[in-house]
Amino acid sequence: MDAVLLQGIANGLSLGLCYALIAIGFTLIFGVLNAVNFAHSEVYMLGAFAGLVIIQAFAPPFMAVVFLVAAVGAFLGFGLERIAFRPLRRARDEASLKSRALREATLMSSLAVGILVRELAELRFGGDMQPIPSGAMLNTPIAVGPVILTTGDFYIFGMAAAMLLLLQFLLYRTKIGLSIRALSDDLIGALYVGINTDRVIVWTFMIGSSFGALAGLMVGLYYGTIFPYMGFAPTLKAFIAMLMGGLNNIPGAVLCALLIGLSESLAPEIMPTRWVDLIAYVFLLVTLIFFPAGIFGRKAERV
Amino acid sequence: MTGAAPLLDVRDVARRYGGVTAIANVNMTVQAGEITGVIGPNGAGKTTLFNVISGFTPPSEGQVFWKGKPIVRLSTHRIARLGIGRTFQNLRVFPNMTVFDNVSVGALGHIGFPAWRALVPGVGQSRAQAIIRKTWEALDTVGLADRAGELAANLSYGRRRYLEIARALATAPELLILDEPAAGLNDSETAELAGLIRSLNAGGATILLVEHDMALVMGVCRRVVVLAAGRKIADGSPAEVQEDATVRQAYLGASDDGA
Repeated sequence: MDAVLLQGIANGLSLGLCYALIAIGFTLIFGVLNAVNFAHSEVYMLGAFAGLVIIQAFAPPFMAVVFLVAAVGAFLGFGLERIAFRPLRRARDEASLKSRALREATLMSSLAVGILVRELAELRFGGDMQPIPSGAMLNTPIAVGPVILTTGDFYIFGMAAAMLLLLQFLLYRTKIGLSIRALSDDLIGALYVGINTDRVIVWTFMIGSSFGALAGLMVGLYYGTIFPYMGFAPTLKAFIAMLMGGLNNIPGAVLCALLIGLSESLAPEIMPTRWVDLIAYVFLLVTLIFFPAGIFGRKAERV
Repeated sequence: MTGAAPLLDVRDVARRYGGVTAIANVNMTVQAGEITGVIGPNGAGKTTLFNVISGFTPPSEGQVFWKGKPIVRLSTHRIARLGIGRTFQNLRVFPNMTVFDNVSVGALGHIGFPAWRALVPGVGQSRAQAIIRKTWEALDTVGLADRAGELAANLSYGRRRYLEIARALATAPELLILDEPAAGLNDSETAELAGLIRSLNAGGATILLVEHDMALVMGVCRRVVVLAAGRKIADGSPAEVQEDATVRQAYLGASDDGA
């Protein structure tokens, strides 16, 4: 295989992993409430900003930044659930708890919180890309055979793998994971056997949002693009990956994120570069028309 | 009224949705150790009544007492933890989880497991073991222990009913509400269910049975409450209820489809 193609595949996987990082938290949160959390892109953005502020203030070791940003993300998830989701979950009857109306209401409320946060970030930090201390960037080149990778590629791969393993552990080896899976399958069934569903939902938002914030940190330092609108485009791709994967299927979403990344990276070989951004939307259309339950989806009624 | 304080005491409960009255002036008690049946045509308000008892729907009027304490303001999961377990007319098992995990969610709800323990492996071993014990115990009771590793979605409809009962049993309920447990079961499965209900009761469980299957209700219940159009129209032994003229007119006469 020629070096250009190999490099293209490497770049594509790297881009896809960035989308996958976002999609993991996004899909986890979707799973419990069947509601799309459109503020995830702002959690992602704030995660990057939090990392930058921490690095500028203390320049701690990278692992310390990771843990601090995860904590910030968990805190954001907690607040987001309180502000945008819980107030709308008041209605206590079976029909409305997971109803379309409630899903649409939380979709709007999370979108609104997201816009507000983004604009506030712009007021505070300005709309331009933030200067990043050169030592903090994750872009030291590393040659692997004919392919040039960077430290960021390894960090992002490591982070995605760690997230998936941690999630696997959380969901299948812990009691909180048992509750999350139960809620995701039947919230009312879980409620009636004594599970404090509100608390499990908060935990899910905290875990999902800490993953989202970490995604922002990694991608921001990798590409050096930290600005208030940084979450929009990649979160949209992650959303498409989640839809393609079957909405409630985290490994499926990760695979589809890689597929989108690879396609975007290799497409310039066969089509004008300015069309590349359309690829994800073509995937979206094809999925919605031919695979309404997602490529790896098990159930059609989830949409 | 009997001498002993009732386990569950529903007093003057009404629930209105806008201008529509789902139930009104419903009074009923459940004595510890009894099997009490609740029957009534579709739309009689049975489900609303159970949603009120289990805290899912707050009543517009009235009170519900559990062992003498009011519970209508408590949230559903708290009421479940007090010892009121239930199953559903439309199954609510967790289809993508194993039989074992389904039941252990019930044990988890009962035994509890503070979230910080869940994040620290090795801490809280005794609780984890109690959950596992309770899960096997409930699975043994309904005879599903040998299928513990299967996905719930792969069980037959009848077995999923039993799975749901096992999940409710794992919450160690003092009162078990069975919402139409015979729906969708064939005759031999219903007979088997009657046996299970009797043996649960013999083991000390108080049972509130909501059912359309008259043979089952009349066979296992010592007392039957009849609802029609949101009101209680009769309350007595199966024989008394069957003789009651109002009941015959409102319910038995109208239900020739055997549903």
